[in-house]
Amino acid sequence: MDLSKLKKRPAYPFETIAVAVSFSPRCLPVLAQAKYLADVLKATLILIHIGEKNSEKERQLDDLMNKLGMDDNHYRVIWMEGEPVETILKLCKLNMVDLLVLGALEKENVLKFYLGSIARNISRRAKCSVLLLTNPTEQPIRYKKIVVNGVENPKTVHTINTGFYLAKHLKSKDVTIINEVNVPGLTMAIADESTAPEAKEIKKHFNEEVEENIHSIIKKCDTEGINVTNKSIKGKPGYAISKYAKDRKADILVINSPDTHLNLLDRIFTHDIEYILAHLPCNLLIVHSRV
Amino acid sequence: MIKLVHGDIIVLLAGIGGILILARTFAELGKKIKMPVVMGEILLGIILGPTILGSITPEFCTWAFPKAGAAKVAMDGITSLAVVMLLFVAGMEVQLQIMLKQGKTAVYTSFTSMVIPFILGFSAVWLLPGFFTFASDRKLVYALFFGIAMAVSALPVISRILMDLNLFKTKVGMIVIAAAIFDDLIGWILFSFVLGLMGQEGEIKSIGFTIGMIVGFGLFMLVIGRSVINGALPWIQRKLSWPGGVLSIALGLCFLGAAFTEYIGLHAILGAFIVGIAFGDSVHLQEREREIIYQFVTNVFAPLFFVSIGFKVNFIENFDGALVALVFFLAVGCKVFGAALGGYMGGLTKRESLAVGFGLNARGAMEIILGTLALNVGLIDSKMFVALVVMALITSMMSGPLMKRFID
Repeated sequence: MDLSKLKKRPAYPFETIAVAVSFSPRCLPVLAQAKYLADVLKATLILIHIGEKNSEKERQLDDLMNKLGMDDNHYRVIWMEGEPVETILKLCKLNMVDLLVLGALEKENVLKFYLGSIARNISRRAKCSVLLLTNPTEQPIRYKKIVVNGVENPKTVHTINTGFYLAKHLKSKDVTIINEVNVPGLTMAIADESTAPEAKEIKKHFNEEVEENIHSIIKKCDTEGINVTNKSIKGKPGYAISKYAKDRKADILVINSPDTHLNLLDRIFTHDIEYILAHLPCNLLIVHSRV
Repeated sequence: MIKLVHGDIIVLLAGIGGILILARTFAELGKKIKMPVVMGEILLGIILGPTILGSITPEFCTWAFPKAGAAKVAMDGITSLAVVMLLFVAGMEVQLQIMLKQGKTAVYTSFTSMVIPFILGFSAVWLLPGFFTFASDRKLVYALFFGIAMAVSALPVISRILMDLNLFKTKVGMIVIAAAIFDDLIGWILFSFVLGLMGQEGEIKSIGFTIGMIVGFGLFMLVIGRSVINGALPWIQRKLSWPGGVLSIALGLCFLGAAFTEYIGLHAILGAFIVGIAFGDSVHLQEREREIIYQFVTNVFAPLFFVSIGFKVNFIENFDGALVALVFFLAVGCKVFGAALGGYMGGLTKRESLAVGFGLNARGAMEIILGTLALNVGLIDSKMFVALVVMALITSMMSGPLMKRFID
């Protein structure tokens, strides 16, 4: 396995899409959405099942694929036994998967959240982009409202570009880039030493600086036919954008992959992506830029 | 029973009114020469207190700012409230997530900028006790205190410096903020431990009991209390008048937390600080609400506290040049070295590491609060208090220019 190729692989296009098949009641809608995306993005679709391969499961899978009109000559199915998270991550690496599609509950119970469910643990560790589907339906949906995180980070340029790539192929008209403004210590710094106009100017300066950065990224992207909005919101990173996506009834939220290896401490002292994973506001695309 | 009589009320109210207006005037004049607000307020205290006004017209000074009696007790009560609230707002700015987010460099910098000054400060007292004045049975407590005094940083001053230098969102800026938050957090917990060891009446308490109480209270507030506050805040914002409701509940919790830690034998500041962390961490706390709490505390109560520092001692009589120099050079040396070493180990360049070191060197208001509390409980004498105040003021003034020099 040549992992160096994987490292240099760009965040998009999604040439290989994998979907985890669990045979749960949500399996058909998840598979339907994955097939739709693979068709629209002209990607190869791989179906992964972690567990024992037996005739009953094979029959169930055939049924699912027939329902969706999937010809099994055109789709690869991988059966493998093992610990689900590790095995799926390994298979994604081996098969150069660009996008992994998983079904996920909007909110896990407290214990499961802290221990980490399969979908969420994969999201934290995957070396490819991950799409978590919260409420998939058998009739696949075209994402009309896309919200993209514009946080200041070297990965963001790839995430924004992936958002536009998706919007273009899914013919989405509405993409909102969100800049979350949260500067620790700023309120304290302004509190006793600034006049009202100074305080206003300082805050304006911070917002403008962030918006300018995003604007310079957008300028270089292919946004033809897409209505792009660049918006700054205040609040804790992760939580603020999650709330915005929920309030605005976004179809999909596109964010960067985590910068560090996340563990239990990150869930106790929740920050960034963990706020979003704690309560998924809509479908979530975590873009792994492989930079 | 002490009771405020007609004359006391007039003196108290006139004193508070005069201090607030003069403190603001000094702060605004100080701003013109880039002097931190807190320095203007302390300078006013020195002028109005025994150092200058007291030596020119001692009768007027004693009448306006009584050293005993009901008005003095009332004023002490107000300044105690101010310290508790100052620690509450300091806690509100502690974002534990920042450390986790900033990764290796922040972890190294935070750790070394705390541990190295602490060890050097502690060792200085332990190995060279002749330079310091303390009761013979308090060597350990004094050494612990001095280690903490060398290790604390002042997030408000540092934030202001970073803002003025437009470094807030840079890598260096975020590392300085993360390390200052860590230093504040550990520094105040350790200081509460030291005060807890001393006990309210000066008796030495068991180390196990004090540690157990601090850890128990901290964990309870940061795990359960934090969730409860976060869950309740939307209801408070929706159902109570705004922003009054949030302000009342915030300060109410602050004082209850302070009262509780005081009750269990720790200092009130720990309760206020930890409740501040739990409250400030809520995702529902709006920026406007945060601002209102800050404005209320830093512009009404903080000046009363910082001006009152000048009333405590005669800064000229208690100015010991050798001690001031020792404290200053030790503080600057160990903090800059400790923080820069961590930054360098974490992958920063030499210049960036030194910029981080000088950034974290600002001690500001936090050091002064620390010194005041230590003076109040009789742990340090007036000379050490003056040395700490001078060190805090100079380090706050020098941080910005030196940081700029290494960033450019």
